[in-house]
Amino acid sequence: MRISPELIAIVIAVVAVFWVIASFNGLVALRTRVQNAWAEIDVQLKRRHDLIPNLVEAVRGYMQHERSTLEAVTQARTQAMSAGSNVTQRSAAESALSAAIGNLFAVAENYPQLRAVENVQLLQEQLTSTESRIAYARQFYNDEVMKYNTAQSTFPRNLLAGMLGFSPSVMFSAEAAERVNVQVKV
Amino acid sequence: MSDTASSNTLEQRFVPRDRESFFDAQRRNRRATWRLSVVCVLAILVMGIPLALTTTPLLYAVILIVADIINYFSPLPSAFWHQANEVARFGFVALGWLLDHKPADPQALAIGAAVMLLPGVLLSVVLWLGTNALLKHGGIGGALLALNAREPDQNQIEELRLADVVQEMAIAAGLPAPRVMLVDGPGANAAAIGTSPADARIIVSRRMIDELSRDELEGALAHLIASIGNGDLRIAFRVAAIFETCGLLVALINSPFGSQSRRTLWRILRYGLGGSAKNGGGQEAAAVAEILTRSVTLESDDIDQFFDTTKKKSIFRSIRNFLFFPIFFTNFAIKLSLWFFSSAMLAPSIALLWRTRKYLADASAVQLTRDPDSLAHALQKLNEDGGAVPGGSWAAHLFIVTPKDGNRASSAGPSPRQQELLAQAWISSGQSSGTTVAAQSGSADFPSLVKEFMTVQRSAAGGDAQAQARIRAMTQLLAALDPALAGAIPDPADLAAARSGDRAAMVRLQRASRQFKSQANPQGAAPQGSAGDAAQSSDVTSLSFLSFHPPLKRRLKRLDRMGAHVEIAAADRKAWIVEAVIGMIFAPFLLLIVAMLLLLISILTLTSLTFLVIWLAFIHTLFALVAHP
Repeated sequence: MRISPELIAIVIAVVAVFWVIASFNGLVALRTRVQNAWAEIDVQLKRRHDLIPNLVEAVRGYMQHERSTLEAVTQARTQAMSAGSNVTQRSAAESALSAAIGNLFAVAENYPQLRAVENVQLLQEQLTSTESRIAYARQFYNDEVMKYNTAQSTFPRNLLAGMLGFSPSVMFSAEAAERVNVQVKV
Repeated sequence: MSDTASSNTLEQRFVPRDRESFFDAQRRNRRATWRLSVVCVLAILVMGIPLALTTTPLLYAVILIVADIINYFSPLPSAFWHQANEVARFGFVALGWLLDHKPADPQALAIGAAVMLLPGVLLSVVLWLGTNALLKHGGIGGALLALNAREPDQNQIEELRLADVVQEMAIAAGLPAPRVMLVDGPGANAAAIGTSPADARIIVSRRMIDELSRDELEGALAHLIASIGNGDLRIAFRVAAIFETCGLLVALINSPFGSQSRRTLWRILRYGLGGSAKNGGGQEAAAVAEILTRSVTLESDDIDQFFDTTKKKSIFRSIRNFLFFPIFFTNFAIKLSLWFFSSAMLAPSIALLWRTRKYLADASAVQLTRDPDSLAHALQKLNEDGGAVPGGSWAAHLFIVTPKDGNRASSAGPSPRQQELLAQAWISSGQSSGTTVAAQSGSADFPSLVKEFMTVQRSAAGGDAQAQARIRAMTQLLAALDPALAGAIPDPADLAAARSGDRAAMVRLQRASRQFKSQANPQGAAPQGSAGDAAQSSDVTSLSFLSFHPPLKRRLKRLDRMGAHVEIAAADRKAWIVEAVIGMIFAPFLLLIVAMLLLLISILTLTSLTFLVIWLAFIHTLFALVAHP
């Protein structure tokens, strides 16, 4: 039996169609994972907003003289919550909140009696955990973005990705302002 | 001279070490997994051939005898006997080709091979499907019951931290957070159990969260969660199914000879058909799994008792022994080949496969925490501790580090008499020291008392004076009743000191725990249901001479390549040479032993086949004579 050129053409066309379908589905799956990872960051930020009033209430009685520190935290929280969906504004507000919480913990070190209060300890642990959850959620988001972008930009799928309407996602990075603030004192 | 030596070490220290990113490490281990799973499948196939060769004739024998009996009452059509003859003829063609190199045409040979192998293969596949269903049915409830696990207490800072760390690692891995269960036990260790990521549980011993810092806890849990994410639970499930299928096969073949195997089979059947919701269903699952994995090891059992020649002789016994003699051969051939192939080929290749999964989980854990140090330090600490978890021996391979021996001893627990004494001392100490904590627990429910004791002991270790006084009061009361037992209760002051790093206190505590084990063991209460079962080792890992866990040194070395800062002792070159020389001397002997064993297995297989054929012919003629005189 001779293999006719038509048969070869049909086989190639079928394989190509299946490849296109498979890559499209693969890219969609990756994109969904990226979106999911982004949503996870929001979930953890929300968790932090919910925890802060409890913490402030718990320590208020012991830290009468640190009114300004506590108010700074509450204010930063309100700003972060009302920052809206603008990514730059929002991440600036969230990093301000992180700084305010860090400051609160640093000041709390001066109140040894605070460390003995179990409720405060539990809240502090939860907040510490939330901080690292946010960091891990960002890390996971970046990992997923890396996979998604690599899948789009490697040959031969890069010929296809643009045509099917996929575009590279942006990685989460520390704000320029935050980078400047990092100073190592020697 | 010394100058060059020091410059050498300097050179070694500052030479650029080869680094590997965790992504590369993951890729490499994934490839290794693929290669080793191919090896495992090959090992199973090789093991299956002698097994099928020996089980198939047994199946034919059963069919033939049943047919004979039916024929006696209502004669079967002659077409059936004709068919049977045809099947037998093909079998003999294959045998003749194998033994005497008689020429045979390929088609008849292929049919002959199928005739000789297929029924045995089918039986194994059916048994394998059965054990799979059984294991699924059992789920992980049994495991949790056997471990006596509990939920973490969200109001305790250490346990809340554990729950938080699990959440963090699950977020880092992008997985749904598995549930955490705590085990109150003497060892520091942790494991991931379950059948799929959806029903995965993480089991952590309470000691582990006391011993590890938050970073180290993150590293250790990242290893477990990465292992869940990599799909190790399914692999572990399959491994367990393979070994339990072998156990089921042995139990099935032994069943005509002894009550023990029949009891096992009956228990499995009842368990498989009964609902899992029933009380104790989980415990039953763990017990069944234990029995099945144990069956593969060579040990005296029903069949030896059946043919026990030291027993009183009688005519009935002699006739019975004569009648069943060929099956004894078959039985022995099957057990020997199962033991040989599973411990020499299958178990080591599965152990190697499992090791690559551990390395892969380590590399993935580094991806999650981006901190190879935390995992490396956690591994070092846990390995030093050698965390044995009571009741955890059935799944040693699932733990982060190998649970050291002694886990069985501690799982045996104190005898009923000791339990009574302990309970008595505990309750009266509660009354005398004036604390009202446990005054209401008049009913001597031992497990709940132990739980109570554990919480008090923990607060005593944390420095609570009242709790320390309570434990001292108990020890004094106990000393009056049974001084040896009292010595086994750790001193609360030592617990507190050990926590703050007092070496001498740690040594005293270890002595106390050893004393407790030796106290508890001799009269150790046999676990219910299976008297005497506890004496034998039961976990999957005991079947292999290779540990399922990679050696700590290699794990640390790989973590070091991913950037961890660990001190790894340089390999001792002399020891290596000695090992190589010993290996060179003993390798030929080992090979000889392996060859002899293979020869023995093939001789046994053929002998059993011959005996079985003669025996069957005898019985068949007997039936023919009786049926048509």
